[in-house]
Amino acid sequence: MSLIEINDLSVEFHTGEDSVKAVSHASFDIKEGETFGLIGESGSGKSVIGLAILRLLPTNAEVSGNIFFQGQDIFSIKPSELRKIRGKHIALMPQNPAGSLNPVLKNGLQIKEVYEERGIDKKEGIKKALKLMEKLLLKDPEKLLDLYPHQLSGGMRQRLIACMSLSFEPELLIADEPTKGLDPEAKAGAVDLFTKIKKEYGKTMLLITHDLDLALEVCDRIAVMYAGEIVELDEASKVLSEPLHPYTRGLIRAHPRNGLVPLIGQSPSRIRLPEGCFFHERCKNSGFECSRQHPEMKTHNGGWIRCHFQSLQ
Amino acid sequence: MSLPVLAVNELAMKFGNSEVFKNVSFSVEAGETFGLFGKSGSGKTTIGRCIVGLEKPTYGKILVQGKDILRMGKKEFRELRPKVQMIFQHPETSLDPRMKAFENLIEPLKLHSGLKKNALLERGEELAELTGLRPEHLARYPSHLSGGEIQRIVLARIMSLSPAFVVADEPTSMLDVSVQAQILRLMQKLQKETGVSYLLISHDLEVLRRVCHRIAYLEDGTITSVENIKRGINT
Repeated sequence: MSLIEINDLSVEFHTGEDSVKAVSHASFDIKEGETFGLIGESGSGKSVIGLAILRLLPTNAEVSGNIFFQGQDIFSIKPSELRKIRGKHIALMPQNPAGSLNPVLKNGLQIKEVYEERGIDKKEGIKKALKLMEKLLLKDPEKLLDLYPHQLSGGMRQRLIACMSLSFEPELLIADEPTKGLDPEAKAGAVDLFTKIKKEYGKTMLLITHDLDLALEVCDRIAVMYAGEIVELDEASKVLSEPLHPYTRGLIRAHPRNGLVPLIGQSPSRIRLPEGCFFHERCKNSGFECSRQHPEMKTHNGGWIRCHFQSLQ
Repeated sequence: MSLPVLAVNELAMKFGNSEVFKNVSFSVEAGETFGLFGKSGSGKTTIGRCIVGLEKPTYGKILVQGKDILRMGKKEFRELRPKVQMIFQHPETSLDPRMKAFENLIEPLKLHSGLKKNALLERGEELAELTGLRPEHLARYPSHLSGGEIQRIVLARIMSLSPAFVVADEPTSMLDVSVQAQILRLMQKLQKETGVSYLLISHDLEVLRRVCHRIAYLEDGTITSVENIKRGINT
């Protein structure tokens, strides 16, 4: 059963005279217990989808489409109801763990606050927090509670944020770029962390990332985003080992391990998107149809792809 | 044999009682990309900052084109300054947020080149083209540019001074995999055209193996080995 369903979601930001099309007609669902990955380069609209789910977009955003969480339409519920969902049923692990913790409060106090909000008394809260911290591979949790966030490494801060996000036992966890800027050791740690959250807690997760290794290790299914739209959606291992869309192929070839071959050109302006396929100016296989007609999502071999030539590839 | 562009001899650094690194020695030849690999906190960035004169090591020599920058006068160092440049890890803090991209780009030229207005603008446009920047990027403030676009402006700024040597401190760790490939390939293209040398500091061994001629491994505060990579520059 689907825990969350996103139907034809579009987000536009109005900035003075222009409007920026951040997300165009995105549709997907996440099943209970599934880890769903959104991959693509910066500015492709991945994080905007994450924020739209929690209705945390700025006021200049125009949103259309629906998001159903446990059958409830997120866009039509009252703000007071929404507050009961945010953090409690859907938790967000934001980008940049350093900026998400209060620098002048000790870690213990910050984590205690979360349990207080849940109505659990201090002693009990700390006990639960320590247990969770131990489970999430934090060494010496008691010592950590007495330190300030700046005294922790990037990887440790991320685990602390994970503990806070999981303390309400949410049904859905959204993790936004959890490995950005981490060194390889901490990245490997993040893979362990998310595998643990997935296997031991059985959490449903939306993992927003451009880290292809993390996506392959942890995700069940993946949607690849380019210029605000989903261009390919399938099982993670299929997308990453036998990519169909020319953009996904380019992304994989750009990985240092696969040759560090850059995609030609740059992403299109989101104020004036090109006619036809948004990727056609950078695509080697581009044909007559590609510059004229925008491709729709079509099923292909059990997955979905937005390309005129998928059958030839 | 010609002198190396950069030679670091027995460099050591202490903060209070803690020794970050000691006995660090290596040299970088003209047109070479020399990688410096180490984990977070191993002192890689501090070594880079010492080389461009942003930190003073506790011991050792840093010879740029044969001259020790730690033992030269202020005036002499200022003259050498344009030749030794640095790319920082966090693109968002590399440019002046109050200046548009093009003003940021031509600022070093204004200070160092002595070019008059029209020549200055022309040179600025040439550099923008060289680094793959589009006119619409140049009219924006840094806050409206992506990380990859900012690193292109940083590269254009640096190349405007015709440096002999650039310390690139994790220039792509905050960028996506596809933009990372574009920036590293651009750095290689600029090297081929100008003969500039790079000290590429990174914790990503796959990246270093792909673009460097040699890689030094920094472990427990000292260089434990230097690996020759045969493939080098344009593969």
